[in-house]
Amino acid sequence: MAVCIAVIAKENYPLYIRSVPTENELKFHYTVHTSLDVVDEKISAMGKALVDQRELYLGLLYPTEDYKVYGYVTNSKVKFVMVVDSSNTALRDNEIRSMFRKLHNSYTDIMCNPFYNPGDRIHSRAFDTMVNSMMMQVC
Amino acid sequence: MNSELFTLTYGALVTQLCKDYENDDDVNKQLDKMGYNIGVRLIEDFLARSNVGRCHDFRETADVIAKIAFKMYLGITPSITNWSPGGDEFSLILENNPLVDFVELPDNHSTLIYSNLLCGVLRGALEMVQMAVDVKFVQDTLKGDSVTEIRMKFIRRIEDNLPAGEE
Repeated sequence: MAVCIAVIAKENYPLYIRSVPTENELKFHYTVHTSLDVVDEKISAMGKALVDQRELYLGLLYPTEDYKVYGYVTNSKVKFVMVVDSSNTALRDNEIRSMFRKLHNSYTDIMCNPFYNPGDRIHSRAFDTMVNSMMMQVC
Repeated sequence: MNSELFTLTYGALVTQLCKDYENDDDVNKQLDKMGYNIGVRLIEDFLARSNVGRCHDFRETADVIAKIAFKMYLGITPSITNWSPGGDEFSLILENNPLVDFVELPDNHSTLIYSNLLCGVLRGALEMVQMAVDVKFVQDTLKGDSVTEIRMKFIRRIEDNLPAGEE
């Protein structure tokens, strides 16, 4: 479904980024990088009070010619960014939402792994498998 | 008690040991030792709470361990299989091990026996009821096996602490 999935730390450095191998990886790095500004904008656009009770899912961040970029920010300011092919119109908002929820749960499990130090890059087989399953479904 | 808190506490303990000791063997030994110290205390609590009497043979002991002790302290009931022909050795199969809920072993700790504490607990507890046993992990889901298997081998009865002249 997705062509690129990234997890960004609170301080805006990447914890995890993975894209479909057939495409130019660097391009996705740029796309994700650019999307972070939109994420910040979306959060700061909301009032202080709203930030506390906002939804984690930010919705569509911006569409480009070929892709749509979606965002999700946890309460600990960890950001998930997902790039989806725009030709894939079958993908509903609800499905994106549930994919983010899955991603979030998986991320929580990693945080609970005693061998993972918060802030490190994510190297986890379980997480890889989960991300792969999300990217596979398209093709 | 909340199971995540329990799992995370045990995880913190093991990772701290990994930081303190250079190689995995030392960590395994240390876990076993800590488990032993827990076991010798835990058996008193177990006997007081469970009201089980003396076991007549090792098979009965296996049942008590799997069906009562594991259930009481970890909330799981391992199955007992692979009895040796002599009846002095068996395996406990743990379908899921609450200690390893979130754990993924990193590549540089391939010889770490993450749940080795359990072996120590079993050894310590049985020693207090006059049974010397050998306990070790033979399969572990963390290492890619489909189940976790703990092998227990009865070595001998400990009789030396009976005061002379009695019985």
